[in-house]
Amino acid sequence: MSGAATPMTTREAPLVRVEGLSKRYPVVGASGDRLSALGRLLLGRAPLREVEVLSGIDLTIHRGESLGIVGENGAGKSTLLKLITGTLTPSTGRVVGEARIGALLELGAGFHPEYSGRDNVRMAAAIHGLAGEALAAKLPEIEAFAEIGRYFDEPVKHYSSGMVVRLGFAVIAATRPDLLITDEVLAVGDERFQKKCIRWIDQYLAEGGTLLLVSHSLYHVQKLCRHAIWLKDGRIEAQGDAFDVTQRYQAWLEQREAADRTAIAAGGDFRIDAMEVAMHGMESPQGGTIRIALRASSRHGERPHLLVGLSRIDGTAIFGTGTEIDGVQAWPIGSPGQVGAQLVLEDVRLQPGDYRLRAHAMDPEALRVFDTVERTFSVGGASREFGLLRLPHRWEAP
Amino acid sequence: MRLASGPVLRELLAREWRERYQGSVLGVAWLGLLPLAQLAVLAFVFGTLLPARASSGALPYPMFLALGLFPWLLFANAVNRGVTAYLDNAGLIARVPLPPSLYVHARVLGSVIVDGAGLLLVLGVLVAFGLRFDAVGAMAALCGVAVLALTALALARIAALLQVFVRDLAALVGQLTGLGFFLAPVLYERSQLPAATAEALGWNPLVAPLEAIRHGLSGEGALPWAALGVSACVAVVLLGLSLGLQRRAGRHIEDFL
Repeated sequence: MSGAATPMTTREAPLVRVEGLSKRYPVVGASGDRLSALGRLLLGRAPLREVEVLSGIDLTIHRGESLGIVGENGAGKSTLLKLITGTLTPSTGRVVGEARIGALLELGAGFHPEYSGRDNVRMAAAIHGLAGEALAAKLPEIEAFAEIGRYFDEPVKHYSSGMVVRLGFAVIAATRPDLLITDEVLAVGDERFQKKCIRWIDQYLAEGGTLLLVSHSLYHVQKLCRHAIWLKDGRIEAQGDAFDVTQRYQAWLEQREAADRTAIAAGGDFRIDAMEVAMHGMESPQGGTIRIALRASSRHGERPHLLVGLSRIDGTAIFGTGTEIDGVQAWPIGSPGQVGAQLVLEDVRLQPGDYRLRAHAMDPEALRVFDTVERTFSVGGASREFGLLRLPHRWEAP
Repeated sequence: MRLASGPVLRELLAREWRERYQGSVLGVAWLGLLPLAQLAVLAFVFGTLLPARASSGALPYPMFLALGLFPWLLFANAVNRGVTAYLDNAGLIARVPLPPSLYVHARVLGSVIVDGAGLLLVLGVLVAFGLRFDAVGAMAALCGVAVLALTALALARIAALLQVFVRDLAALVGQLTGLGFFLAPVLYERSQLPAATAEALGWNPLVAPLEAIRHGLSGEGALPWAALGVSACVAVVLLGLSLGLQRRAGRHIEDFL
């Protein structure tokens, strides 16, 4: 799968086709670089000093497609979106398509800080060809969707980042583009508005809309996208089903984090040496048991405190506790400074889904985290109930 | 990506308008007050303080000067406002998929509309004080203004693009338009100069449109139709040059902003 385009066949012509796309940015740090670059561009040549950020990207986006783009910072995700949107010119290759694109590239892409929300909405709508009476008819809808009240007529420079995203998304919702491009916008703003945006995107996709989503939240990519690509160092590392790609990416991230942690631990004062997780009866309606066995050590023979946190895979915290919170000390094992402890979580009634356990080694004062180890796990089964936990309940006659 | 350039240009123009007058107490009244105040100063300085007369005919010098100065301001303001259009809108260019030249067009057009309105107002006052012109003269003046505006657009497009790569250019353009003020027949009539100098100045493509406006509206002096035609051709060539530059270097300006 690595580097190859997964065929997403359809009889319909593609909405956007990306062919052999690459982007190199000129290096213009030294005086004279710009002048030299101008001379070379006028002669039809590339600037002398360039840095490549994207290379050999081939991609086809069909109508109704939902494609997530994952990758580390600097992998080229935002550059790819800007090339597709047309705010950047490719160094080689091309983007073919006549789609009406609605892009939220950065916080409130294109909003002028000195102008009011209303003025910025007028401009953003004009870019999508919405003006005059058509815009006047849509303005109340945009204002209502954004839910920013009197700030609608205040300069955007007075907005919080969440309010800017609200306004940007409200314009997108009103103009309903052929292709919706969003870059990390779901990471900003309060949870209620995030959910509102996700509901809107869900409906947009159900009605045949097309989505290109860049997000560090693999949960959002898995929830909203059918397909995904993983960009690494400006190239496509993997492409295909959203779950397959995000799981490969997640595995790579964990592998790299483990390597980083080993490097840090080698120089750190307190570290987690081992974390073993055993689960029993998690799919039972009566709840199960999670046993987390930890071994930790300190360089100077002090006894570290241990901290454990349970969260949903998207980061929503469920429960956390530690030896210091519960007024216990980890038990000495082996040589001085080596300790061990088991945390037993009983009657755990998690809903089916993916979860993460994190264990931290802290100093004896429990003020600072020195090391973190995590494990992910899934709870199987089928449930139509809502929420994180399956609470014991019953219905009774009134 | 498909783009609605018409509504966007209108919105950019509206922003230009708001930027000029937003926050000022008198607001849009400045549109008329500024040229009228400038005209009053000219009349006082050259009519009362330092009485001067135009070399040709009986046209009072303040009137002579106004017929050269306001068209010159229309040209110079448009170029100077256009030259920083890309840098001033760098944030938008990096985020909004618009043809960048729209920002220059909005700057130049906004400036020409404001200064054109000022010129019309000044003309109205001059007519009230006895200025008379015929339809042919008015046509020559209109063509002169059109050639000045077209030249300003072409130069602004070129300067704005080069400014992205050579950041010193905006200051240089300011100095050059200051120098151009003295090399164009704004303060003086070309016929006052030694013949060789007057002929040399005739190579300046801005001379013909300025003389077409002044001669056309004052009825004094020959209408330079042929020279105006040449100036129009120069403007078109400059515009072509700006398009060529845009094609070569303009495709990548977002990388240098």
